[in-house]
Amino acid sequence: MHRFKKLRAISRKLRIKKAQGKTLKEIYQSKLVTSLDPLKLPLLMLHTWLSFGTIGYMMLSDGNFIDSIYMTVITIGTIGFGEVVQGSQTPQGRIFSTFLAISGIGVFTTSVTVIIRTILVGDIPRLVKMLMVLSRIEKLERHVIVCGFNRSSLWLIKALTSRKVNTVLVDGRENSIKAAKEAEIELFIPEEPYKKIALKSAGIERASYLVSLFEEEEKNMAVIAIARLLRPNRSEFTIIATAPSEGSAHKLQELGANVVVVPDKLLANRIFSHVLHNTGAYISDLFDKIAYGEEAELGVVELNIEANSALINKKLKDLDFRRIYGVTIIGIKRLDGTLEISISGETQLEQGDTLLLLGRPKNLEKVLSLYQSITK
Amino acid sequence: MRLKKIMTDFFLLMALTTNISFIFYPNPYELVITVIANLTATILKLGEGKILATEMTAASMVADLHLLPAVFIFFLGNHEEATSLAIGALAANIISVLLSIIEAIFSYLSEE
Repeated sequence: MHRFKKLRAISRKLRIKKAQGKTLKEIYQSKLVTSLDPLKLPLLMLHTWLSFGTIGYMMLSDGNFIDSIYMTVITIGTIGFGEVVQGSQTPQGRIFSTFLAISGIGVFTTSVTVIIRTILVGDIPRLVKMLMVLSRIEKLERHVIVCGFNRSSLWLIKALTSRKVNTVLVDGRENSIKAAKEAEIELFIPEEPYKKIALKSAGIERASYLVSLFEEEEKNMAVIAIARLLRPNRSEFTIIATAPSEGSAHKLQELGANVVVVPDKLLANRIFSHVLHNTGAYISDLFDKIAYGEEAELGVVELNIEANSALINKKLKDLDFRRIYGVTIIGIKRLDGTLEISISGETQLEQGDTLLLLGRPKNLEKVLSLYQSITK
Repeated sequence: MRLKKIMTDFFLLMALTTNISFIFYPNPYELVITVIANLTATILKLGEGKILATEMTAASMVADLHLLPAVFIFFLGNHEEATSLAIGALAANIISVLLSIIEAIFSYLSEE
């Protein structure tokens, strides 16, 4: 009995470890196995009648298995090609065939209908699809995880997809699952994003951004807390969230969000800019479009000059970015935070400066690849 | 739950014993009964998500994949090939029965 106690303790330990280490994929795989349970009864019924018919005809035909199973299938499958088994023409054979046909035809049609319906309509196709989605997510890198489905997240996903940025949506609410299906979002995990397991399955370890777009502040807080726990480094993993007020935005930032957008304030600011720049609406619109990624032909990037940069102590006329790369330096943010916009060829660059570059995306990428240490 | 275990174990053991019997003295009825018993055990194990149950399903599926060709090969006249396939299935049958015993021990421990 003492040995049994030891065994029991080991099995308990193993059970705890197993529950902790399970991934979403493993859970869905296990659900897929258990979803085969409804197939048991129809398969068993079909198998019993096939076995009964085969053994019966074998006894009549003195052990001819192949003809016997064939005869059983054509009898209970209502095919009726004739009496192919020796002995089936005898009175005993006819009685057996009659009994088998009467009882077997119903079993055959019912079983086949239930089996096909379970495979095509039940949980099986949904779980297979989910497993395929999880396998696709496993291959993603530097992708964006969007938590919470609403109109904003739908626009965001569409915009990111148009720029070929892989996006994974995570939301476990019933309505969101339906809406995401209707919107035909491919990479979708129908789980609550404030569960570790859901974020891990969304590939948080390999992702670059997480966007939490819940209307409820507490849900955003839970998502940010879990996400920051899994990816503590703020510079490697960016968390963006929405908040209803400035105070709430401050809280979310303290919790771990890099950027918090207050939608009401943002809306007011955009309307304000239209009122303010009414006469020059084109410029206002253009800068908005550049900032929000709606303008594909023009972009603005930041280039940080770090300690080992080749740009230190260089004058702008020496660099000649405009002629060589077709990129214009529109301003320099100095280390003390001041923005210098009245720049000339004589302006000298220093360590810690940030150059604001304007140009076509292709040209900007060229400069970025040459001078590294760039942040968007 | 108990009844289910009795049924599964019955068909697993039935498949094992008739298979051994067939290997020592090849008889068409015994081979067919082995296939039927083994297929029944596989169907009864379908849909069980526990680790040992899935291992048992896999082992009994292996036995099915040996026995189904064996039965057709036997009735097409190649008795030696059918017997060797049945020996292969026997290995899977033994593993199935061992796993069933282990499962019984674990369920006994968890009930205690």
